[in-house]
Amino acid sequence: MESPDHEHEQAGHDHGDHTHPHDEVGRQDKPGYYDVLETAVRELLIEKKYFGADEIRRQIEVLDSRNPALGARVVARAWVDAGFRARLLANGRAACEEFGISFYDDTQLIVMENTQAVHNLIVCTLCSCYPRPVLGLPPDWYKAKPYRARAVIEPRKVLAEFGTIIPDDVEVRVHDSTAMVRYMVLPRRPDGTEAYSEEELAALVTRDTMIGVVPARIENGSTVQ
Amino acid sequence: MSQTEHLVKRLPNDIGGLPADPIVQTDHLLEPWEKRCHALADVLDFHKIINTEEKRCGVEALGAEMVGKLTYYERWIVAFSNILFRKGILTPTELARKMAEVEARWDEHAGP
Repeated sequence: MESPDHEHEQAGHDHGDHTHPHDEVGRQDKPGYYDVLETAVRELLIEKKYFGADEIRRQIEVLDSRNPALGARVVARAWVDAGFRARLLANGRAACEEFGISFYDDTQLIVMENTQAVHNLIVCTLCSCYPRPVLGLPPDWYKAKPYRARAVIEPRKVLAEFGTIIPDDVEVRVHDSTAMVRYMVLPRRPDGTEAYSEEELAALVTRDTMIGVVPARIENGSTVQ
Repeated sequence: MSQTEHLVKRLPNDIGGLPADPIVQTDHLLEPWEKRCHALADVLDFHKIINTEEKRCGVEALGAEMVGKLTYYERWIVAFSNILFRKGILTPTELARKMAEVEARWDEHAGP
């Protein structure tokens, strides 16, 4: 939780004369209603021994450890290793676990492969389900009404708003996630990357390529998220 | 179609296929309490206290106005509170007392 920014803020305070533990070091503003509500719910549940404070801390560390770079490594491996690619498409979760990515929830992962004939897009119309163990938390736009409402009814227009024009002879398939089943897109390997190393390939794979709103491109390499 | 029929057919979360505004590619770094709220949701799921579908339903049960006006994690923490009341795990009174305690602690610690 404690970022360098927080430490910097704290440096301006005199914290030298108290010794009680607290977990909100460096807070400047009075916590808002929902911040207080979250703290109260969590502390009550800990007091009642439903779980320990360390479990929340550990889960924050887990959340912090997940980001699109993990998914990018999975994609790059699938591009260079046909056997892994086949296993990934057959059972996304098992292949990711084989690759060393643990799933901290009960979800299944279905990986949809983009081809010359099919472009895939993922969405969660009901809320915000997303392959979090592999990609981290979704961006805000993925959770907002315009994307959730429109991706399933006019995906080509939605894609165009991301700058992605899908030719008419390419089928667009939209995959609506559920609490138990999550999707990830395996983007097409860009032309001209035959000589790239696996690591160089992974650098071309951004979050948005695995949601399916943009293709992987050689020039993506400088904008990896 | 009657003027209220759409309310029956579509609960607040069920927006797939509806007309909506252009995509705005928004994102933000989570506030500390938002990240704690997310971790809390995961831990509640691990302990089989509130699962993902209960969480989604709990958000939907807030009604269209709150779903529309609260932010993402605000909806979550309010839904968790309601679900915990319903399951008899927390009571509104003890939650109100604890919130007052948390605020008093901050006042004492930070002071005006």
